[in-house]
Amino acid sequence: MIVVGIETSTPHTSVAIGSERELLGAVSVAGKARQEAVTPALERLCGWTGIELGQVGGIAVGIGPGLFTGLRVGIETAKTLAQVLSVPIVGITSLDALAFTVRHTHKLIVAVIDGRRREVFSAIYRALPGGVVRGSEYTVASPDHLCAELETVPGEMLAVGDGAILYRNQLEGLGSRVEFASTIRAHPEAAALVELAVPRFLREEHDRLHDVVPMYLRKSDAEIAWDNRDRGTGA
Amino acid sequence: MITLGIETSCDETAVAVVEDGFHVRANLIARQEHLHERFGGVVPEVAARAHVEALNPLLDQALHEAGVGFRSLDGVAVTVGPGLVGALLVGMAAAKAISLSTGAPLIGVNHLEGHVWANFLAHGEPDPPYVALVVSGGHTMLVHIPEVHRHEVLGQTLDDAAGEAFDKVARLLGLGFPGGPALDALATQGDPGAVRFPRAMADSGDLDFSMSGLKTAVLRYLRAEQAAEHVVSLPDVAASFQEAIVDVQVAKTVAAAKERDVDTVLLGGGVVANTRLRERMAEEGARAGLRILFPPLELCTDNAAMIAAVGAARLGRGERSSLDIGADPNLRLAP
Ligand SMILES: [Zn+2]
Repeated sequence: MIVVGIETSTPHTSVAIGSERELLGAVSVAGKARQEAVTPALERLCGWTGIELGQVGGIAVGIGPGLFTGLRVGIETAKTLAQVLSVPIVGITSLDALAFTVRHTHKLIVAVIDGRRREVFSAIYRALPGGVVRGSEYTVASPDHLCAELETVPGEMLAVGDGAILYRNQLEGLGSRVEFASTIRAHPEAAALVELAVPRFLREEHDRLHDVVPMYLRKSDAEIAWDNRDRGTGA
Repeated sequence: MITLGIETSCDETAVAVVEDGFHVRANLIARQEHLHERFGGVVPEVAARAHVEALNPLLDQALHEAGVGFRSLDGVAVTVGPGLVGALLVGMAAAKAISLSTGAPLIGVNHLEGHVWANFLAHGEPDPPYVALVVSGGHTMLVHIPEVHRHEVLGQTLDDAAGEAFDKVARLLGLGFPGGPALDALATQGDPGAVRFPRAMADSGDLDFSMSGLKTAVLRYLRAEQAAEHVVSLPDVAASFQEAIVDVQVAKTVAAAKERDVDTVLLGGGVVANTRLRERMAEEGARAGLRILFPPLELCTDNAAMIAAVGAARLGRGERSSLDIGADPNLRLAP
């Protein structure tokens, strides 16, 4: 089964094509990639791998949390591909994908993605044979708040993600029990989405197309202001 | 030839299927007004979120209504600007995915040209030259169209768009958001000559517009009347305000047609739904010997049929957009 993966949760855009046996091809653009480049990247990847979209059996997409505009481009692209090709779709969170790529550890995995405006999206994982299992909610909080949270968690940790790199100084305050994953693991990769999604497609545990939406974890500014206003007048 | 149109530049998610450039097979719009109402204006992040949820079901529905499948598309037209960048990118992502997976060529369309072309969906193939007035919540401009797809901007608003002025004054009058249609309805019960609001830029000698002074004049009038403890007739204020806007739009449009020696005028954009603007434009146009065309109501406000129509015409000329094309929130009609 051939699966296309699309990941645009962070300023690192990636597209991959793979099967249950192997990764057939992947394109990753690090840094400030324009997410508009997703479809052209997929087109090129199809050319390089010799795969035609008609052969694709499923679409895996990163649903965030992450940067809203990029996420929407990736998700809308993936949903529309699944719709046109009439193939199933699976949404995978950016934090799950990050943790999965560093699963060969005995430590707790803390996946942290930069949410801008001095906030991070995070979740805590434990490695299991063949994967990871999430042991916390997906949360959005200030880096200080995350550190305070981690203070209460015993044991050694592996911090991974662009948020962990950006707020490394704060996280180092937790002491030597925190190790930092390599910077080449700082962003969720489409290849990881493919690897995570293939077994779900084989088990037919896919998502309903219209249910695949970004995991925002944060309301829009206007809604936040509105809620605060309500609170102000209600008190 | 079947062209799919996708429009997500602001707060309407729209999908249309147009055959041979002029025959509308499906024209669907998912409105979001209810999501923005409490904020008193369109919130870009709220709009972009709603597009992601609305677009794919709408695509299914439009194709179903048109009786075609993705495989029968000969072209995919999508608005690339001007508009809210986060909102534009949602429609563009879908359009690119459809183009890549079906092989149908992609064509990026200027939203403003769409508003002009809405006329051709109603009145047939274009036969330039024209002068067009594009007037909506985001735009107020006069355009000279000497030949198809060639535009020369003659004048535009220096501050608010006319639709914005309608919405802001409607808010002052307690009519909610979007207030344009409510203000239009209220004005029918009022006297357009009751209050003499300023006709901004009417005598500026050019074809530019300005709305912010008028809005301030209405605010000042309401405050003065309140202070004097007079009973304010809201229908009179609505009608007088509307008359001031319409007066300037009509005068400048007629002047533009004369200046360019053009005898056909096209109106486009959401504000063209305003009954008084249509009425006065028809009257003054007839007096000046001009042919005034405007689209039916459902093609005045943002829609994807107009985008598909422009796209079909451009594809017909051999134009194509690359899958690399980006959104341009400030896209202009002419350099
Ligand atoms: Zn418009």
